[in-house]
Amino acid sequence: MIPLIQHIGRYTIEFVLETGRMFLFLFTVIALAVRPPYRIHNLLKQIHFIGIRSLFVIVLTAIFAGMVLALQGYYTLTRFGAEGMLGPAVALSIIRELGPVLSGLMVTGRAGSALAAELGIMRIREQVDALEVMGISSLQYLVVPRILAGLISLPILTVIFDVIGILGGYLIAVQLLEMSSGVYFSGIESAVVMRDITTGLIKAVSFGLIVTWICTFKGYHAKRGAEGVSQATTSAVVLSSVLILVCDYFITSVLL
Amino acid sequence: MSQPSALQASTIQEEAMPLPIGERLVRNQCITPQQLQEALAQQSGTSVNKEALIGKKLIEMGYISHPALLECLFHQLTRERIAYQLDRQASTIIRFNHVEKTLDGRKVLDNLNLEIPANKITAIIGISGGGKSVTLKHMVGLMKPDQGEVWVGDQPVSKLSGRQLNEVRRRFSMLFQEGALFDSLNVTDNVAFPLREKTRLSEQEILQRVETCLQEVNLAGMGHKFPDELSGGMKKRAALARALVTQPEIILLDEPTAGLDPIIENAIHYLICDTYMRTRYTIVCISHAVPAIFDWCHHVVVLHRGRVLASGPSLDIRHSTDPTIKQFISGALDGPIQVI
Repeated sequence: MIPLIQHIGRYTIEFVLETGRMFLFLFTVIALAVRPPYRIHNLLKQIHFIGIRSLFVIVLTAIFAGMVLALQGYYTLTRFGAEGMLGPAVALSIIRELGPVLSGLMVTGRAGSALAAELGIMRIREQVDALEVMGISSLQYLVVPRILAGLISLPILTVIFDVIGILGGYLIAVQLLEMSSGVYFSGIESAVVMRDITTGLIKAVSFGLIVTWICTFKGYHAKRGAEGVSQATTSAVVLSSVLILVCDYFITSVLL
Repeated sequence: MSQPSALQASTIQEEAMPLPIGERLVRNQCITPQQLQEALAQQSGTSVNKEALIGKKLIEMGYISHPALLECLFHQLTRERIAYQLDRQASTIIRFNHVEKTLDGRKVLDNLNLEIPANKITAIIGISGGGKSVTLKHMVGLMKPDQGEVWVGDQPVSKLSGRQLNEVRRRFSMLFQEGALFDSLNVTDNVAFPLREKTRLSEQEILQRVETCLQEVNLAGMGHKFPDELSGGMKKRAALARALVTQPEIILLDEPTAGLDPIIENAIHYLICDTYMRTRYTIVCISHAVPAIFDWCHHVVVLHRGRVLASGPSLDIRHSTDPTIKQFISGALDGPIQVI
């Protein structure tokens, strides 16, 4: 019994310490983000990496998410004689939930893992120490542009996801199920309000922060060689994905 | 080695006086004064560059071969080492006072007291896990001691942070064990990196300085290559160029010859000697290249179990009667250090 309590106690202390370190890391990064020098070139490079290079996977996910949503929604709504509500159902699901959540998860898988691995390798190869010896803040040089790029890229990717997802639904509803395109789009126009869009964007910004914060934190503190980098990358992806879903619930319950 | 007589000592000390490379070569009759004048006249660039690259120019003009030039510099270093052995005169630039550091429950530095002489080459030797790299990281503020103080000049580096720490770090540059070159940048951009980030030099001036540094480490024309296209020795030389480009006061070298073949190892030692002769920077070098390292440094510190076992001119340490040091130098399995 006592070893079990000891284990629980140890893990609790470790959890609290790790959480504290993560928030300290975030506050330091925020403080450094407003302090010069502002490395615009680095920021643009990261926006290209996190945003533009995630575009293909976002478009692909969005189109199939929209299509499957339309297909499932149509057969469900037909049972209640409410096929006309397919457009709003697809649009609201995507704008309020699926757009930000799936964009966040896709960026975690594609860019977040790469961020953690890149920083982890830089850490174990002493490149982070090399920056510090040169008198350059490694957090400001490496982490700030990545987090800012996440905050900028995720909302844009989410908007793109929303548009492509709705078009994917349109393809199924109008081309396959022979619904009127007027019914599909007019339903969306009347059902979607500005609050739905802002809710989706607030989620997207939050998920952008979560992905880049967790992945840079894990990578930056990687240790013990290749195995350490692999552990950091795995835990970065798992923790980011779980936190996205947990935060999604809390943001939804607050903003609903 | 027998102690030299007073007359020999004064001759050695006179010969060991630091001189510009060109004048030293003339004095050692490696070249004639006319050849030096011709080479200086044909040199372009600033006076500092002229002095730094005079050796290259002389090689280019066919007045001296590269190995002969390096050999001459090595002999000069030997004279200076013997002079240091005799007078032991050097101010202290880095001082550790009762430093203790525990990592993962293991005491890595245990009441460490250490002094690094200014403008000399100091080697830190000792068995693996003895705290050498940790000591180097404390010098530049990458690690903070649990107890004790680390001083660089009149600055307590162990108590500084932020801007003050960066000011102290401006005096340093460091060559890491694996080079720590940035993978996404080519050699030119790697070497130019600290200048672009920390100075307001124009791009033209930066590229000129980078080119000079690459010539100094014999990597001219390799600037377009990326780190993964370089051999181990080339990586070390590129990292050395990056360390030299900011013209620091103190250079820290963490195992600059680890994992290299004997010829490249020797070439790196000559390069360090060449750098020292041209710049007179304080060089602190961790090395396992024993006993070769005794020929390349003025001062040696032996670290063992987080403490200084011995410290002094290289000849003193080489001929030490301490059984641990003797075992370390000879590499014998039998002795106070039990590894098997």
